[in-house]
Amino acid sequence: MTRLAEPGPAPGDVLPAARVPEGKRRTPLACVRDAVFRYGLLILLVALIVLFAVTQPAFFTVFNGLSILLSVAVVAIVALGVTISMSVDGFDLSVGSNVSFTVMLTAASLVYWGLGPVLSLLIGLAAGTAIGLLNGLLIVVARVPDMLATLGTMFVFAGASLLITAGQSIANGAGYAGATPRGSFTEAFTWFGQGDVLGVPVPVIVLVVVTVAVIVFLARTRAGRLLRAVGGNREAARLAGAHVGRLRVLAYVVSGFLAGLGGVLLTARLGRGDVNVGADYLLQAVSAALIGFAVLGANRPNAFGTVVGAVFVGVVLNGLTMVNAPYYAQDFVQGLLLVGALVVSFSALFNRKARA
Amino acid sequence: MTAAHDAVGRSVLAARDVGKRFGETTALRGVSLEVRAGEVLGLIGANGAGKSTLTKILSGTEAPTSGVVEVRGESVRLASAEQARAAGIETVHQDVDAALVPDATVAENLALPLLVAGGLGRFPSRRRIRQAAERIAADRLSGIELDAPVAELGVSDRQRVLIARGLASDPAVLVLDEPTAALSVDEQQVLHATVRRLAASGTAIVFITHHLGETVAVCDRVVALRDGTVAGEFVAPLDPARLAAAILGGLAAPEALGAAAAPEGPSVLDVVGARTRPDGPLIELHVRRGEVLGITGLLGAGKTELLEQLAGVRPIEAGTVALDGQPFRPAHPADAILAGVGFVPEDRARAAEVPGWTIADSLTLPDLRRYRRGPWLSRRAEDRAASDVIRALGVICSGPRAAIESLSGGNRQKVVVGRWLAAGSRLLVLDEPFRGVDIGARADIARLVRRTDAAATVVASSDPEEILEVADRVLVMADGGIVGEVDPRAVDAETLADIMTRPPRRLETV
Repeated sequence: MTRLAEPGPAPGDVLPAARVPEGKRRTPLACVRDAVFRYGLLILLVALIVLFAVTQPAFFTVFNGLSILLSVAVVAIVALGVTISMSVDGFDLSVGSNVSFTVMLTAASLVYWGLGPVLSLLIGLAAGTAIGLLNGLLIVVARVPDMLATLGTMFVFAGASLLITAGQSIANGAGYAGATPRGSFTEAFTWFGQGDVLGVPVPVIVLVVVTVAVIVFLARTRAGRLLRAVGGNREAARLAGAHVGRLRVLAYVVSGFLAGLGGVLLTARLGRGDVNVGADYLLQAVSAALIGFAVLGANRPNAFGTVVGAVFVGVVLNGLTMVNAPYYAQDFVQGLLLVGALVVSFSALFNRKARA
Repeated sequence: MTAAHDAVGRSVLAARDVGKRFGETTALRGVSLEVRAGEVLGLIGANGAGKSTLTKILSGTEAPTSGVVEVRGESVRLASAEQARAAGIETVHQDVDAALVPDATVAENLALPLLVAGGLGRFPSRRRIRQAAERIAADRLSGIELDAPVAELGVSDRQRVLIARGLASDPAVLVLDEPTAALSVDEQQVLHATVRRLAASGTAIVFITHHLGETVAVCDRVVALRDGTVAGEFVAPLDPARLAAAILGGLAAPEALGAAAAPEGPSVLDVVGARTRPDGPLIELHVRRGEVLGITGLLGAGKTELLEQLAGVRPIEAGTVALDGQPFRPAHPADAILAGVGFVPEDRARAAEVPGWTIADSLTLPDLRRYRRGPWLSRRAEDRAASDVIRALGVICSGPRAAIESLSGGNRQKVVVGRWLAAGSRLLVLDEPFRGVDIGARADIARLVRRTDAAATVVASSDPEEILEVADRVLVMADGGIVGEVDPRAVDAETLADIMTRPPRRLETV
């Protein structure tokens, strides 16, 4: 045994912190850039809240805060599903159609078939989950690339949601093809969307629970860790013993379940089943997840960022409405926000790693 | 400016007191060296010694913080690879694939710089590209089909394409960054011959390598870097022991770690009647507890195919495998891991690391069940396990939560090997674990492998020096089968290299 045999660094290796990956000398400007990369979005969010609060006394109230959260609850829940599919390096384009389909199926269960609130709710959740499972199997078993498979199911379930009702919307008293309705949107059901517990709307409570669950799932459970490993390096995950196929299916199943949950909540909130009501939710959810990349410099799908992204959009739209900005400016503003967040995440201007 | 214009021995490229800082980190502190026409200058150093930073400065991809770079005595600012090229400095980087378009043909790749520079006009025809490529290839690419897609070439041929392309501009200086890292022994020898020939024709060559033995074979002069400074300069004839002392700083070179008498422990792995391909020769091997079985052979000899079957990465072709006497037939890496087999794949970045992860997360990935407390992963337990591995293997890092990318190559490899230490594996299967790893880290890993009495190890390497250093017993593979067994105490690296390159089909024992 030579002296090298002793544990610890060989002197030739001791280059103090030559491994710190910083590319450039830390000028004040570089510090500002790093701060923007990490905290830019949160600072902007706080600044906007302060601005709206100062100019609109009605903005900064508990009531308005809850109504913002209520307005983004469904989008945020669907977006958390999108985040999970993104975290395995996948992409679920079908979440919007999933929402549409579960809305119509839940509404039909209640009104057409009179199955009662609990069963209808379970049917909605099961349908969403099944769509996720189908996506997962198409992708993993049939080996169709993620985007293409979910593009296909996006059309299939957008269409299927119309087939259920022959293209009709479902409201109380509506019957399928002239038949008398067997049930209705009972209060027990609409409570899930319109009720509250101690003043907190039920969808907001659901959102909080789901958010905590997804964050803990991704960060603190074995399955969550493995999902992120699959997303980061599929081959490395496989060689480390991860069953990559099963994990990818799991990601789409969770994504489908959360879209289904979003659909059920939406049905309960609207108290009717509107045709194609979910179409908007795909892009809203994806943009929330992408804005989330810029939160705390994560630069990857992350549950906390996704919810912040969704809330951010809610705050901006709510504030703009209060200052009487025209409704047709909303998409424009939201688009600017998304582009800005993406530049912060990916541009070498702010992201030090992108500068390499 | 062509190489021919420089008198042999004239300084064509020099660094004068070059320093480089990254934030608070100093990578180079005042390095001076000269590259002279017609010589091969070796640049050696442990990982983190400043080799790659110096290479980047010489090839124009990084600017020095202090000091100057001189081309033929004139101070220059090399702000980009293009400017370096214009000054007559051509660099072939370690990662050849980054510089080639895999789907394009060899001819198209050869003509690419010309095409980009506009030398082939705005609408270059296939014929003009082909003609330009033929000019560039000259007689340097014998045996390579110019119309074949680059993706169909092996690593060594890709590198030849890249070197030929670099020589097209007739550079005064050719910088070769770890050119032999992915080559087999005979391919290395071909490259060495090419390098000597180029030097003889007046080109100055900077040859960066981890392998001290290699510098002895090709270099006229060697500059050893340590800790960002020049630790020594040596002129041929070179003595590997002194080179090792220079880069490790006062420590003797790791001598072969003293193979103990063949262990008498119970058999851990028994492979009977296996094959590396459906029609391949039958393979039998046995590994005892505490034993390190080395497998060597040229690229394509079947080492990886054999190892991957043991690790459940690919299905077992034929025969029976027993682990601790129990039949073992892993259908997935997870089965192998559960059975106590730890596998370190050949390509760390592609197959072992998750970008952006911490050391602790990278270490615990294959064995997360161990760190569960109830349904949750315990960060404390993970950090504790990571700290243990960091200490045991001497991983140089700021702690278990450091990003894996912040470590040097050797330390990253320690983390990948350390996983299985933390997981308590009974059989370690290591495929080229020392590739791109400096000799300090190599010694640490080798020591770990040798010390674990509880486990058995199968290690594959196409480098005879490495395999002799680490193994108790060495099997030589060729053409998918085992063609010989050698006792590392009885042969030296050259003899082993000889056996490896000999035509197969003869079983030998030395």
